[in-house]
Amino acid sequence: MRLDARQFNLLAIAILVALAAHAPHLPLWIIAAMAFVLGARWLQRARRADLGAVPIWVRLPLTLALPAAVVAQYGNLFGREPGSVLAVGMLVLKFTESEKPRDARAAVTFACFVLMAALLFDQSLVMSGFVALALLPQIILLRALEPRDDLALKPAAATLADLRRGVPQAAFAVLGAAPLALVAFLFLPRLGEPLWGAPSPDQGRTGISDTMTPGGLAELIADDSPAFRVTFDAPAPPPPTQRYWRGLVMYHFDGTEWTHMPSPPVRDASPRFEALSAPLSYEIVLEPTQQRWLFALDLPLAAPNGAYRNAEFTLVNEKPVMDVTPYRVSSALRYRHDTLARHERQLALSLPAGYNPRLRALAAEWRSRYGEDREIVQAALALYNARFSYTLNPPPLGRDSMDDFMFETRSGYCEHFSSSFTFLMRAAGIPARVVVGYQGGYWNALGGYMVVRQSDAHAWSEIWQDGQGWVRVDPTAAVSPERVNLGSRAANAADAPWHGPEWLLALRNQWDIVNQLWNKVVVQFNALHQQNLLAQFGVDHAQWRSLAIALGAGSIVLVTLAMLWALRRDRDPGDAVDRAYRRLNRRLARAGAPRDEAEGPEAYLQRLRQRFPQAAREIEAVFARYVALRYASAQPDPAAARAFAVAVATLRVG
Amino acid sequence: MTHASPDTAVTLDAALSTSLDRAVAQVNSVVLGKPAQIRLAFASILAGGHLLIEDLPGVGKTTLAHALAATLDLSFQRIQFTSDLLPSDIIGVSIFERDRNRFEFHPGPLFAQLLLADEINRATPKTQSALLEAMAEQQVTVDGRSHTLPAPFFVVATQNPLDLAGTYPLPDSQLDRFMLRISLDYPSREAERALLTAPDRQQLISTLAPCMDANQIVALRKHSASVLASPALIDYLQALIGATRAHPEIRVGLSPRAGIALLAAARAHAVLSGRGYCLPEDVQAVFVPVAGHRLTPAGHGSRDRETLARALLTDVAVR
Repeated sequence: MRLDARQFNLLAIAILVALAAHAPHLPLWIIAAMAFVLGARWLQRARRADLGAVPIWVRLPLTLALPAAVVAQYGNLFGREPGSVLAVGMLVLKFTESEKPRDARAAVTFACFVLMAALLFDQSLVMSGFVALALLPQIILLRALEPRDDLALKPAAATLADLRRGVPQAAFAVLGAAPLALVAFLFLPRLGEPLWGAPSPDQGRTGISDTMTPGGLAELIADDSPAFRVTFDAPAPPPPTQRYWRGLVMYHFDGTEWTHMPSPPVRDASPRFEALSAPLSYEIVLEPTQQRWLFALDLPLAAPNGAYRNAEFTLVNEKPVMDVTPYRVSSALRYRHDTLARHERQLALSLPAGYNPRLRALAAEWRSRYGEDREIVQAALALYNARFSYTLNPPPLGRDSMDDFMFETRSGYCEHFSSSFTFLMRAAGIPARVVVGYQGGYWNALGGYMVVRQSDAHAWSEIWQDGQGWVRVDPTAAVSPERVNLGSRAANAADAPWHGPEWLLALRNQWDIVNQLWNKVVVQFNALHQQNLLAQFGVDHAQWRSLAIALGAGSIVLVTLAMLWALRRDRDPGDAVDRAYRRLNRRLARAGAPRDEAEGPEAYLQRLRQRFPQAAREIEAVFARYVALRYASAQPDPAAARAFAVAVATLRVG
Repeated sequence: MTHASPDTAVTLDAALSTSLDRAVAQVNSVVLGKPAQIRLAFASILAGGHLLIEDLPGVGKTTLAHALAATLDLSFQRIQFTSDLLPSDIIGVSIFERDRNRFEFHPGPLFAQLLLADEINRATPKTQSALLEAMAEQQVTVDGRSHTLPAPFFVVATQNPLDLAGTYPLPDSQLDRFMLRISLDYPSREAERALLTAPDRQQLISTLAPCMDANQIVALRKHSASVLASPALIDYLQALIGATRAHPEIRVGLSPRAGIALLAAARAHAVLSGRGYCLPEDVQAVFVPVAGHRLTPAGHGSRDRETLARALLTDVAVR
């Protein structure tokens, strides 16, 4: 038996959705090549079904090309991305030889695996939802592969109708598996480490990197996805001017690029600063960054578990952040450092030789004119305020980029300002450094948390003032105060059409609550949460064994229930006939012609003929099936009963 | 006629089916505008039951009986029941034959295949029960000797429900002998106009040719008994019977014998509808004629029997 056109089309759709699930994270050319093979095979079969499978002399080179492409792209065949490309590719190749229902079944099984693999890349609500929906075509295809009573429908016209009709059934099947999935979700022993190892850093979101060049953040500012979410122990968040989420401190500047040099952990417990305000406690849920640094407001008083504080009092995780990661921090928003080590002072004053002579000259002039550091800072900020403008589309800069910026273009955004300001301070003999992180955050009052987006990425400066320690100076605020007070969205409004209107923003924030909940309940459910959950039921320190027992027992109970239900359901085909007839009655009642409960089928049909003259023939055929099953035979034939159920499901009234 | 297993619908032999259709059509051409009642009369014949027509004088009771007699090639007798009619007047008498030196039985008008018992409620209970016993047993016993009645034996009795003076209405237990009780009612306007303008009915009947003989009727009865009543149909039938027994306004519901009659009548109705299986509609079509005269209302304040039977039909759900 060969696949008919309808089954083949469904197979194409099933494979297409599996391919689509991988489209966001695999190289475009590979996806395009696979889509091409898929489409070509579909066309070939649609035009010349008599040719059968794609001949071996086409399939063999394609099969060999697949690993070659993987090696060309990734350099090897192993790992998450190469493995996924191989899996998707094999699925598409299976399509080229699929001619029999057996092939289609194998392909569906494998497509489900490929869909699962897509979750290795992205476990967000959207992707999980997509994968769940993508299961529907697989199940619809499986059902279509079952031998069944012919519906007398033309195969070509039936693919879409099949899909539409199959969706409720398939959704029912998926929902039916949900309890089992829930048991597995709760009790499947969780691994501390993901099985598939570390993904390569070039994948996924970039986030903030450890170097900064003018223009480097622009791409990030266009990225509207959340960087992390914060819930404060206090009922209200700190004011906008205090929302500086420090991430990386950069000392080194080579003329074009600021670089973060990892500094050693501060292991001793004694702080080298004095907190001047009560600690502010909060929890951050960080989206995966593939990097090690964490973000915190100003100076964290201690490092969370699995992370340490470095000499600049920023937080560094011991491992790259591969998953949504929650951590708790207490921060001091006002503080005073005691001393600046000599090597630190040296670092904070060093400038590359031979760059930006005009800026150095200006610094020298100011140094001689003003006595106090404070006055120099004021002069610089006044200059920014008076002469500069904030834009996300700054003109290009030459070799002496700071000179060009300060004296020629005079427009730019946070990176330009913090970079030039730090340079200027150093040139004037004031220890200064660049800090990169996020500034701002949207307080989601509905959800009671703050969301900080990639577009809130920011760079500012810190200068050393004796007696105060490192003092934050944000030159961008001097140019564009709304950037700090209202957030990047307000400041970038003119340049940033992608943020959309106000209502879209509100909608986005509500959607963010859903995402946060998903992260909290599903994505972050790890071994620890599992233990905590079981502890509530008196299972302390759940071992693999007890988990396996819970999983096994739960599965057995559910499968038994399902089987009992299935057996009960199929015990008497007469029940199925009754059910289908009741369904038919409901549908006709919705169409405006309810059956009187004491009305026999013949009398009812008579009424329906007049009520729906245009569908009279179809209705008659359905009723003929019913009467034949229910009254013209003592024992309903199961196959005919199924056919009747299908006929009821496909009946179109009026 | 095909011989069918009890599990499947049966099919009727084409020739038999044609004769049945012709017979029904012919009676319809005489008794105008009463197809449902004629169908019920035929159902009664096919189911092997007797028919009681209860209605006012002059609405065509006798015409219907005559039309049936003319259409069916059966020996026909008519007995006009009166208060002085004796059992022997209908059964027959044994008379001493001198030449043979013994009593010889002279069969009465009862010995016919189709018997019209006109105004049955005018006769005394004694005479009534002689007829009804004969109907139940298909034979009569005179002077210790049994005489089998001809087969098929089909009684059409009429009675006038309003004419109470000097009548003996059939008791409930006797009514049970009739499988179906129907009433004819006034004709519709068009039917009445046709009656008024067309030739006399009696004249018309005299021109009719029989369409079905006794053998065919026997074959049809056999076929009717084999019509499929599916489990679902039996469910419905039992629900109906059960409802008659549970109804607060009914003192005595349908007996098992009534239930059997209901099923037999429904089967016959299915045959008349050209089907080899029963539908709930068949049961519904015969339910009031079968149950109407068999239900005993609870007492004063209850609705009359037919209304109750009709109410039951709308109360009991067809699944």
